[in-house]
Amino acid sequence: MPSLLEFQSAMRAQLLDNSSPATTATLAAALTPADLISIYRNTSRIALINALRLNYPAVQQLVGEDFFAVAADIFITSDPPRTAWLDLYGMAFPEFLEGFAPAASLRYLPDVGRLERAVSRALHAADRETVTPAQLASIDPLAAGGLCFTPHPSVSLLSSDYPVDAIWRAVRARDDAAVAAIDLTTGPISLLIERKAGNIEVTRVDERRRRFAEALFAGHPLTAALELVAHAEAPAWLAAHLAAGHFIRFATTQAPHTPASLGNQ
Amino acid sequence: MAPAAMRGDDPIPAKAGVGLRFQHHQAVLECPPDVAFMEVHTENYMGGGAAIGCLEAVRRNSPVSLHGVGLSLGSAEGLDPVHLERIKQVAERIEPALMSEHIAWSVSGGNYLADLLPLPMTEEALGVVCRHVDEMQTTLRRKILVENPSTYMQFRHSTIPEWEFMAAVAARTGCGILCDINNIFVSAKNHGWDASIYVAALPIEAIGEIHLAGHSVRQLADGGNLRIDDHGSRVIDEVWALYAEALRRFGPTPTLIEWDNNIPPLEVLLAQARHADTLISKENELRRAVAA
Repeated sequence: MPSLLEFQSAMRAQLLDNSSPATTATLAAALTPADLISIYRNTSRIALINALRLNYPAVQQLVGEDFFAVAADIFITSDPPRTAWLDLYGMAFPEFLEGFAPAASLRYLPDVGRLERAVSRALHAADRETVTPAQLASIDPLAAGGLCFTPHPSVSLLSSDYPVDAIWRAVRARDDAAVAAIDLTTGPISLLIERKAGNIEVTRVDERRRRFAEALFAGHPLTAALELVAHAEAPAWLAAHLAAGHFIRFATTQAPHTPASLGNQ
Repeated sequence: MAPAAMRGDDPIPAKAGVGLRFQHHQAVLECPPDVAFMEVHTENYMGGGAAIGCLEAVRRNSPVSLHGVGLSLGSAEGLDPVHLERIKQVAERIEPALMSEHIAWSVSGGNYLADLLPLPMTEEALGVVCRHVDEMQTTLRRKILVENPSTYMQFRHSTIPEWEFMAAVAARTGCGILCDINNIFVSAKNHGWDASIYVAALPIEAIGEIHLAGHSVRQLADGGNLRIDDHGSRVIDEVWALYAEALRRFGPTPTLIEWDNNIPPLEVLLAQARHADTLISKENELRRAVAA
């Protein structure tokens, strides 16, 4: 008699890779053990492919349902979920797409996936209290340069060589004219992805704003971020981040880092 | 045994409720339906954002039951403490009237296999399930209900009838039973059991909730068929009859209409709930007549 651990390992192998021999002993007469396992395998695959569809709807629309299902099936076998919280399943799918030869002609596809991943993370990130401008009013101006922030888990930045925001919007709206009008050669873009009152907003930011936000989101001191971009409007950008609730914590450091210490920003 | 200071003593009236899916969020917020409670899959409301916010709004109008589908009480390798903690966080925000999980397993080798898989009915599996029900009840500091499975396969090394397994889990852990009438019907048909014997074997005092759902029938090459528990259609007449039989034995019980695939307009679910309420009312009348 197999132990429960042995039994579950054998059935797991059959569900994740149906080429494994069906070793599970059953009593049912009308169907073979392999047929019965395939019922469970089918249910499992449908649930997981649906989880990926929910996280990557634009990718699915770009490649078509059947193509998506084939790619998803291969991905699921190679990277099955590690938790029953499927809202964040498939966070490595964009990297999988990058190496998926049948999709190689769609050069922008992995980055559309990365945008959808950022949207999923923003949608499901924990609810947290945010730092308000009033809370910073009490900071000694001399210490303000050493301010470091922790970003809200729902906010992130994304850079791409392709206009993935335009692709994503046009595809999600099923606007064929807008899809046809997209020019893939317009150059690199940076995006800010955030959650506002439960809805996701994706906004283009210019290179300096991206570098400033990236430094702050990475927890670098305010002076370092300001010096990095050397722009008169940077204090206003900070005010906008605060007003939008992009930070959940702040701290003051004694010795602010110099921009040189930020590495390859 | 269950911890002493537990919440979760059944505040839901013995009436019908409906399963709530995302498709119906807007409808139930705009016009809260007249049902005894609503039940959701706990895993759909983890993390933050709009989904849990919406469920909090639903909770202001109606008791909520949190029905877990992914803790894998039957896993030999133990419960995932991170997943149990996420369940606890949902419970702290929603303050559910009921919480439940399944007699099944879905995690092996650290992977979630995305289905409620059948357990061999052995002393070892019974011990594993009871240890995990204890752990869940202790962590959540409340009584939970465990649901009987629907299965398509049985195992040669099983030694305990499923109904005895269910009763033993309740007796050893102090948990309640979520009696899924459709699951009993599906498994009984698939395995040639007598559904009435199953219902009659469950301990009345442990029953905290009943589930009703539709299922599909797959024709097999040998002329037989296999019942698939897909929650994608109306409750069939034979399951309504078994439900009435269960109400005779258990007494009026909070009853949920589950519908998870091919989800129809909310009104269709509400009509099924009203039918369940009609059967509950009949049982109440019968009991009053007998008492008089």
